[in-house]
Amino acid sequence: MGTEQGSYKVGDKVAVKRENPSGNPRTPKYIRGKSGVITDVHGVISNLRDHRGLYPPLYTVVFDVKEVFGGASPDKLRVDLHEDWLERATPS
Amino acid sequence: MSDSHMHDFEAHVRAVEEDLEYYRAKRIEPRIFTLLRRGFIEFTDLFNAAASSAKAADSNQGNGQEKDLESRVRALEDGLDDYVREIGLLTSSIGGAIDVVTEDSRVERGDYNEFFRLTHREYKGTLDERVRSLTEDVAKNRRVLEVLARALIQRGILREDVLNKNREALRQAGPWHGGKIVARCWVDPDFKSKLISQGRPALRELDIPPGRVGKLGVLENTESVHNVIVCTLCSCYPYDLLGDTPWWYKQDIYKKRVVADPRKILEEMFELKLPQKMEVRVYDSTSDVRYMVIPRRPKGTEGMKEEQLAKLVTIDSLIGAGEAIEPSQVGHVKETQWGHPKPRPRDY
Repeated sequence: MGTEQGSYKVGDKVAVKRENPSGNPRTPKYIRGKSGVITDVHGVISNLRDHRGLYPPLYTVVFDVKEVFGGASPDKLRVDLHEDWLERATPS
Repeated sequence: MSDSHMHDFEAHVRAVEEDLEYYRAKRIEPRIFTLLRRGFIEFTDLFNAAASSAKAADSNQGNGQEKDLESRVRALEDGLDDYVREIGLLTSSIGGAIDVVTEDSRVERGDYNEFFRLTHREYKGTLDERVRSLTEDVAKNRRVLEVLARALIQRGILREDVLNKNREALRQAGPWHGGKIVARCWVDPDFKSKLISQGRPALRELDIPPGRVGKLGVLENTESVHNVIVCTLCSCYPYDLLGDTPWWYKQDIYKKRVVADPRKILEEMFELKLPQKMEVRVYDSTSDVRYMVIPRRPKGTEGMKEEQLAKLVTIDSLIGAGEAIEPSQVGHVKETQWGHPKPRPRDY
């Protein structure tokens, strides 16, 4: 589990894990196993109204719509993901 | 675990400290001084108003101690939100006749001379002690506001029936801050950059209750980028700020299609055709960052007043499922439950 600042920075290539590692369910199924690039680092967000305690640092990760869903869409999809769901993408 | 909990509350308590101090020092006290200095009210009006108005507001004090810290922090945040709402209500009920410029000068900050620096309240001690002092101070600040309103009514500057009518309207209508926020962004680029970089704290100058669900993310639509938001896992949205989402936001058909082919769903469901060269960005959010979209300012609106501009902002446009409407469309599109125009999606 990362520090408050988190282990990744803008521009890092990351992959979304396939399995739920920590019981934090907040990652959509469609994005699991896909690779993207960090565009925003939000850090640990204290959100008393929505959940007890703190979740790991949060990131916005950008994906190509066509890589996630196929098709020909030229558009981009940004998904907010907590650090426990991410791992560094292996360079291809 | 307990350590992370303390940390959790710390951020919330610090935010309340900053907000409360802001509203006291910049919104309310300067207004009272202006009213006194311009002769609208006298000090004795405030004493008389205090004597004649019931002290009902702090009747619930004292029973807070038995509750756990989390409930007390939540109650504190709710109290602050009510306070801010009352400030907005009072200001709008007076009709903007007495507006003040709040000084935020280098002199007051003590950049030139420590002697001139305004005193800021600090909250010290344990988290528990700070929550207790803050709870007392929110109640005190609300009392000041209540006395001020009473004095203005007794002086004939504020009409009680207008105040009550506005309060009732606010209760029934639910919040409609989206238009206000976007219109300010359109006319004030500094405010816009502050909102994008800071989120909720930037809203203080609009007398909008900061709200507390997650962090506010702000996405600006431009000539080259169109943002659209969704929460595929549930329906996260800054509802405390912007009101409830439109019904379709929670529908699976919207959630599924907007991530897989945003351009197509915008065209088919919302009759919004975007140029090929415009980049479409979909944001799938969690509850931790809740997004709103700043739609593009419609053409031909130069010189329009902020309150007129606010009417061009639709609920759909705050999500990116529509654009702000043209001035000629005001009143010609279907009304929403909040009394503001919203074009309907075409089918489903």
